[in-house]
Amino acid sequence: MNLVARLKTLEEFEKLNQLGVGVFCVDTVFAAKSLSIFSLAQLRELKNLTKINNKQMYVLINCMIHQDDLPSLTELLINLKEIEVDGIVISDLTVYVLAKDMGMDHLIIYQPGTMNTDSYSEEYFSKRKIKGLTISREITLDEIKLICRNKSGIEISLVIHGYLDMFYSKRKLLTNYLIHKEIEGKNLINNYNLRLNEEIRPNDFYPILEDKFGTHIFRSHKLLSIDEFSELKKIINTFFIERMFLPDKEYYDSIKLYSEKLAKEEFLNKYDSFDSGFYYKRTEKIKGELNES
Amino acid sequence: MRAELLAPAGNLEKAKIALLYGADAVYVGGVSFSLRARASNFTIPILQELVLFAHKLNKKVYVTTNIVFHDEDLYGLDEYLLELDKMGVDAIICSSFSIIERAKAITNLEIHLSTQFSVTNHVLADYFYDEGIKRVVLARELSLEEISSVSKKTKSDLEVFIHGGMCVSYSGRCTLSNYMVTRDANRGGCAHSCRWLYNLYENNDLISVDYDFQMSSKDLEITEYIPDLLDLGVTSLKIEGRMKSIHYVATVVLAYRMLIDDYYNNTLKELSFYKAEIKKAENRLTSIGFLAGETTVNEQLYNTRSETPTKEFIGIVIDYLPEQKLALIEQRNYFVLSDEIEIVSPKKVFNYSKINTLLDEDMNPIDVARHPLQKLYINIDFEVKPYDLIRRVKQ
Repeated sequence: MNLVARLKTLEEFEKLNQLGVGVFCVDTVFAAKSLSIFSLAQLRELKNLTKINNKQMYVLINCMIHQDDLPSLTELLINLKEIEVDGIVISDLTVYVLAKDMGMDHLIIYQPGTMNTDSYSEEYFSKRKIKGLTISREITLDEIKLICRNKSGIEISLVIHGYLDMFYSKRKLLTNYLIHKEIEGKNLINNYNLRLNEEIRPNDFYPILEDKFGTHIFRSHKLLSIDEFSELKKIINTFFIERMFLPDKEYYDSIKLYSEKLAKEEFLNKYDSFDSGFYYKRTEKIKGELNES
Repeated sequence: MRAELLAPAGNLEKAKIALLYGADAVYVGGVSFSLRARASNFTIPILQELVLFAHKLNKKVYVTTNIVFHDEDLYGLDEYLLELDKMGVDAIICSSFSIIERAKAITNLEIHLSTQFSVTNHVLADYFYDEGIKRVVLARELSLEEISSVSKKTKSDLEVFIHGGMCVSYSGRCTLSNYMVTRDANRGGCAHSCRWLYNLYENNDLISVDYDFQMSSKDLEITEYIPDLLDLGVTSLKIEGRMKSIHYVATVVLAYRMLIDDYYNNTLKELSFYKAEIKKAENRLTSIGFLAGETTVNEQLYNTRSETPTKEFIGIVIDYLPEQKLALIEQRNYFVLSDEIEIVSPKKVFNYSKINTLLDEDMNPIDVARHPLQKLYINIDFEVKPYDLIRRVKQ
């Protein structure tokens, strides 16, 4: 079983290593919702650390890739190949296509958030020989089990803990709002202290973040999977523990929880605001007016 | 090759209207596998009727099968795809690999990639082309410059949205509705949570005022960019709005039809002409979206005000009695004797007239048309045809 944790600094490596983290995931310049962007030199150093400790290093390239991004993304991939990263977590399939042309498709972990919702995703990508895919966040435990029935060898992973994102817009929604309201002196870019609240759901506060890639909105409650973890471990080997908006201490304790170094009761005595996401919640396909086709 | 004008249709009548008023193709959602499935009445026989109607006009029908697929959606997929193939549907619009690969395996259907996949560059467009997908609907987050760059480099046919509502997120990358109200945004249940009103807090400090934080975008309207898109050789120009009225569909399709044809024929009028035509049916604030680059406050909707269409749709022509110079129409909105009207026809002829004669179906004189779908006779001095629309000119 591999726990994938997001690393903020090289200095933090030893701490997470001791907690039982198996895969260290770090942000690149193409990481949306980033915590701390690692330079190439830092990536090289981290590679050495993970190699010495028999651990793995994943890098995040999870923004949408536009035409102008292609040259610098290609350059980054060349460097990642040279560094010998163990995995590249992507959201936009463009990265897979570029990586394939460079003989790096075996490193790709497809994690679009919303698109890997059925068993066929696993079949499709195992044929394309990528490293793995992360199951979407809005499906039930029963559906997750169905997807995991196939044993093709591709690494199936799941995000099991933390504030999960549920909206990605290219629009600078916070900046534009401030301009509209003529509010000056507020820094809303990369500000991790912002929340949205809706009138008829007064107890739900949704974290919202604007970065250079646009605006991201997150669930009001943190996902907690400890009750399902034993069952999940039987069918899935790799688990991401999300770090967004969590204080360091809570993040470390979250890792301890899943590496069985901290009891559930003790954890829940310290922290609150959790839910079980969509594990037991089926979504309805009722009439809507989505502007799509 | 001339660009295709692609229009939405929520039912058979709207689809026929769209085709008659100048669309080269329509896209419709069937009762299965579409983001509009629950609102659709396009059963297999109705789809078949539409395909026959369109093909007689040498036009095309695309069927959306664009849900993000779950295992439970599998039931009936093969049968449905085979039916679509058999009836001669011109393409299906997909976003899920399950449907794409199944369609490739068991049918000869042409496949278009939905904007749900948010393709933003030529590399991904080419990937799908090599995978057997002929056309890609580009993400609505692209500027004209980006569309131009993709267009020059890709092997794929490109479809670009030119008019209508827009998700404020990258399409397919939003589950606000799923989480907030357990309605699946990517399987037709979107509750438009992005259009709700919110308060914005920084820690415990309220930044917004009385729930005035909004994310909604204005609708797209890019008449000024149509010549550029035509010059780029974009394959298809797409109008959004399968939930819109027949008046909206006819008016918007006709306006863009005139604009496209006038550009190709070197008879382009002032853009204000085409914009004014659209405003006769458009009731939402519009903007150019991402066409000029990053969106600004001008592309956002910060109030709930709607525009009022400059014309009101009051009836649709069913028949014409030339000797009496009377048109048999079906009432769609309240009007009265002496109202000034204009007639919109697919021939793009606009004629002004006044209602001097108003008769019920039994030829009894009446003063007011107040019953929806009531059959009525009104005087029109020249021949009108079925599917011509009657608009009331607002005073």
